[in-house]
Amino acid sequence: MTIFTCSDTFEGILCGVYDAWMSRLGHDNVCLEIENTGNLRMFSEYRRAEETEDKFRKVTDAILRKAGQQVYEQVYCASLSCQPEKADMIYRYLIYALHFGRGVTDMLQIPAVYELFRLKRRVCNETMHLIEFIRFSQAGKGILAGIVNPENDVIVMMAPHFADRLRGENWVIYDDRRRKAAVHQAMGQWLMIQLPDDTWKERLVKSSDQETFEELWRTFYKHIAIEERRNPLCQRSHLPLKYRPYMTEFQQQAPGAAREDGLRK
Amino acid sequence: MLIQESMDLKEKLGILADAAKYDVACTSSGSDRPNRPGTLGNTVAAGLCHSFAADGRCISLLKILFTNQCVYDCRYCINRRSNDVPRAAFTPEEVCRLTIEFYRRNYIEGLFLSSGVLYSPDYTMDLLYQTLWKLRYEYRFNGYIHVKAIPGADPVLIEQVGFLADRMSVNLELPTAEGLRNLAPSKTRTRILTPMRQIQRGIRSQQIQLLPRGGGETIFQDSIAYGGRSGQRQVVYGGEGQIRTRDFRSPGSGRNGSRRRFVPAGQSTQMIVGATPENDFQMLSVAEALYRNYDLKRVFYSAFVRVNDDSRLPVLPGGPPLLREHRLYQADWLLRFYGFQAGELLTEEKPNFNVFLDPKCDWALRHMELFPVEVQTADYNTLLRVPGVGVRSARRIAAARRSARLDFPDLKKMGVVLKRACYFITCSGRLMYPVKLDQDFITGQLVGEEKRKTWDIGDRNSYRQLSMFDDGFLAAAPTEEDVRSAALGQM
Ligand code: SF4
Repeated sequence: MTIFTCSDTFEGILCGVYDAWMSRLGHDNVCLEIENTGNLRMFSEYRRAEETEDKFRKVTDAILRKAGQQVYEQVYCASLSCQPEKADMIYRYLIYALHFGRGVTDMLQIPAVYELFRLKRRVCNETMHLIEFIRFSQAGKGILAGIVNPENDVIVMMAPHFADRLRGENWVIYDDRRRKAAVHQAMGQWLMIQLPDDTWKERLVKSSDQETFEELWRTFYKHIAIEERRNPLCQRSHLPLKYRPYMTEFQQQAPGAAREDGLRK
Repeated sequence: MLIQESMDLKEKLGILADAAKYDVACTSSGSDRPNRPGTLGNTVAAGLCHSFAADGRCISLLKILFTNQCVYDCRYCINRRSNDVPRAAFTPEEVCRLTIEFYRRNYIEGLFLSSGVLYSPDYTMDLLYQTLWKLRYEYRFNGYIHVKAIPGADPVLIEQVGFLADRMSVNLELPTAEGLRNLAPSKTRTRILTPMRQIQRGIRSQQIQLLPRGGGETIFQDSIAYGGRSGQRQVVYGGEGQIRTRDFRSPGSGRNGSRRRFVPAGQSTQMIVGATPENDFQMLSVAEALYRNYDLKRVFYSAFVRVNDDSRLPVLPGGPPLLREHRLYQADWLLRFYGFQAGELLTEEKPNFNVFLDPKCDWALRHMELFPVEVQTADYNTLLRVPGVGVRSARRIAAARRSARLDFPDLKKMGVVLKRACYFITCSGRLMYPVKLDQDFITGQLVGEEKRKTWDIGDRNSYRQLSMFDDGFLAAAPTEEDVRSAALGQM
């Protein structure tokens, strides 16, 4: 078995796919892994896939030409997954996608297609959840700051939604797990930044206003429930506990304190 | 019934959210409107849920009453005149600020504004109009707005408000005229249906007239005759000695001349379940008639909560009839997206839902002669009728079988609930269990499954309200084509 390793990025994975495929060792004799994940396997040869613009473009072109935009988006989405096996799943999927073309998305009976479908669905579901559940607070100087802690690397998928909706606002979506942020300038563009340390987050948390609107929201939240219908299990199935430490309505103490609390791991 | 003027915003919000919570509609769907520069917000066709309250219900909109003062005395209502409860009223300004500030922080998709009747229907409707106008034009809010049409209000006011809102609703409250007479003497069937019809006509005539019309002409030629010149119309109304007049500009044109659409997300209504003796068949038939004759987008069902101690209200020993409400939602779903008709699910002879089985399983068990169907060949609408097959899974099956022969494990991947479906389908001519099963056995199995599904999630009498989505996690709205075939009532 020859194991190709690649970096944990969309570009890296596609370059890995290129090398594995073009090695002509046969699909059954190669495997694609994200570097520094998984145990070293015996009797295997490891090869690092070098990333080049050229390889990336070739694979991208092939996907778009033979399998279309939808497959391309699925693969991009899957590449944001937190599952280390995603690189090989994408590789296996592309074998079918480049063979069958667009129709592949309907072939859920094929295990490789189904696996990718599930991978992508988990990423999309988390994106949707966070688009709904992220809470912004007024972080001074007219900046809205929202802190999330996603399992998958989804803030890049969340940003376009808010770029449209909150077009006239300066906002930051901060990924607490990866120290990354999507930053948007009022009436302008948004971009992703990788941060070296926690100073950003500290600033976002500290400057959060202890404003009345957070308190008003908690008031509304409390009053809108019908006591006779209380149903915590139903509530939990729709709004899993993992999101709650970051949500204003579940931060019971003074807003500032609660925020610090919720964010401490 | 004095409004305390000095009350702070937090207190008001508590009172007016409390007073609004028995209205169950909280969806933000049906409008797909991107942001326009200079405004705040957009709307998303499928709607978004921003939180879930302690009762498990979705919170999508800031659902409040403008005021909980009311001149009427509906028996079931917490805000009725004869109740001694604290009263409050917002100002339009306050509603706008709450909406904007909550929206910016991503707490909500928009506003759901309802109100008790202050002085008169016209007076109240005008307050709602002022609030919405301010929100749209002064605060430049481009998110979702659901607003109530107050029965009895001047059609001109209703029309004006319709151009500012995404969705409007008038609550039917009780399914029969008799129920209304009994519990809501100030409301009559006609009074409720009149604005509903007006809104329907407005939406329809807008769909017909694709070309923009000139100047101040109203789109409701058949329902309202505008007096005065070029679409200007005065409404005169009084409340406690005050007379107000208001001049309206031409409907549907914004300040900068852009045209607004009339109630783009359609209208909805709500019926209370269990306050009056109507059976499920009556309720469902009314819902069906509303979908057909009034083009409603949604009918909501609200399990009766006994908030007033009133001799005319029933005492329901098990609390609010949640299971009944749940069954009605399931059946409603079958009407709208699965091509069923009320008369297939219930009849005069059997007018209530089976407590132990969801309406689709119940129907299938009574029609065993139609099953099993072959997954490979059955048409889409037939697949939809199989218990355990949802809109999404039926669509996936139809797509996948073009390229392959499907077997039971494949169906599971497409989202089919095999525990239910296995008795009603064959794959390549084979049943999942090779022996011929009789109806009693299958019923036993399905009841067992339903019980687990219903009971292991909730304790005592709580149910997971959304388990009606057969394809579970994928609770997104069905596509246009499903909606259309459901509307055509295809079998
Ligand atoms: S009109 Fe009837 S239902 Fe509406 S607020 Fe007044 S009393 Fe309540």
